[in-house]
Amino acid sequence: MEMDPLEVFEVEMPGEDYGAEKYREIILDILQDLGLIRSIGRLYVYVDIKAPYFAVLGMIRGKQPPLKVSDVGDLVQADGGYQITVEDEEHMANLIRALWDAYGRDKVEQPERNVLVVLSDKSPEDLVVADLETEFRRDLMDALVRIAPEGFRNRRNEMGKESFFFLAAEETIKPEMVAEAKEKLGGMRDA
Amino acid sequence: MLDPVMFTGGVYKHDLVTELIEDLGGYLLQKNVTQSEIILLMLVPHDDMPVLEAMNKELRGKLERAPLAGTEIAVVTPTLAIHHLPHPACDVAEYLRRHGAKSNMIGMGRGVAREISQIDEYETALINEHDAVVFIFGNFTDCILKKEHLYQNLSVPVIITGGPEMKKEDLPYAFEYVPNVGRIAHRSRKATEIGSLDNIVAAAGRALDSVRSQISKDPLTTTPPRVMEAVREQVPDITQSLSPLPIALNLNGLRIKLPFEEYHEAVAMVTFDEGVTLGEIAKIVPSRMKNYILVRILPNSETGFVV
Repeated sequence: MEMDPLEVFEVEMPGEDYGAEKYREIILDILQDLGLIRSIGRLYVYVDIKAPYFAVLGMIRGKQPPLKVSDVGDLVQADGGYQITVEDEEHMANLIRALWDAYGRDKVEQPERNVLVVLSDKSPEDLVVADLETEFRRDLMDALVRIAPEGFRNRRNEMGKESFFFLAAEETIKPEMVAEAKEKLGGMRDA
Repeated sequence: MLDPVMFTGGVYKHDLVTELIEDLGGYLLQKNVTQSEIILLMLVPHDDMPVLEAMNKELRGKLERAPLAGTEIAVVTPTLAIHHLPHPACDVAEYLRRHGAKSNMIGMGRGVAREISQIDEYETALINEHDAVVFIFGNFTDCILKKEHLYQNLSVPVIITGGPEMKKEDLPYAFEYVPNVGRIAHRSRKATEIGSLDNIVAAAGRALDSVRSQISKDPLTTTPPRVMEAVREQVPDITQSLSPLPIALNLNGLRIKLPFEEYHEAVAMVTFDEGVTLGEIAKIVPSRMKNYILVRILPNSETGFVV
């Protein structure tokens, strides 16, 4: 499903208009801090402060493919092996670790800060450097825990391929509460 | 009548200011050196202010009134988790500090949530050691109303801050309510946000004034700054204390940051020119903060004299 970043973002808190407006700001601030805005397409937040619970339903924008060696650096075949020149050092640590795992420490050399040499005939081109999808989900979980009011310590989350559902409450989460939250969020989505 | 002022200027020649304060009969409360700059918090006799202003002009420093100087204010958040810190709790604490107060941040052990929040005896006693307290609550009206039990047993004036607009009548145990603070996830930098911080400082000022007027009905036997001077002279080990503020002033006493067991007798023996000892005119008890010494000066009605 094609979506713009955060094309729909709705917050509903019956009886707490100020809270709704402020939580909108808080959610945007936190998603921005963690660099998640571009990965979320739609976001619905429903809070019943009398129950109380805090529920979020979100749609994830497209799937991120795993990052491969060819994505993070230039790969050239050299004498007795392959040379990788890395421009962006963000993934350097992951890259070295992936190469060590695949070839062994003695087969990987780093003659310069941004250059790696692999002493092997096998091309490292398709080696996975980082699993962005897993990282994204971890960050998303972190963001949701940060966003939910702190007293809401009982949490439940359902991570799907294309969407996620998060519920936080003060009291024990009962099936009826989950059903009610889902119904409210579903209503917001279909409205 | 002593005026609380804050001097900000270069370290070079700042001792001229401290000497002048001494000569005028004022008190130096706090001295903060940050590289080449210095911040002095002082109490200066009102009539002698022009002399200090002239000196300030000569040194090209900045002299401001610090209405909260000589007081200690607690800034209390439901916990010390990322939800409440660093914004806005640190903003509030820092802003109070800039107006001369000593602010302490306190994160409660179980202050979160609507139904399960609670405060224990230790926390209550610790907060009561301050002159006023600012509670930082969130954005939900309902939650702010439900958290009343956290502060209804405190004996110091309580300033509640939160997001929504609320009526003072809804919070009978609070001294004042300051809206538009609430939970935010960014630093306070917009004019409206800074304005809310100003409101908190103003509310704190009013709360402290109410305490002062209460004290003035039955004046203390002596003033806390005078006790501070005497302790500095007669308990020289205080200069070895590593705290940024070895003696913290309250409106009705002070906290001396030395171990209680070793020093409480020395503190009780501190003698004033009139011949009375501190032990005779004040209660000297262990503070709830670390193992410091808490001094509470007795009022005139209990000692029968004023020195």
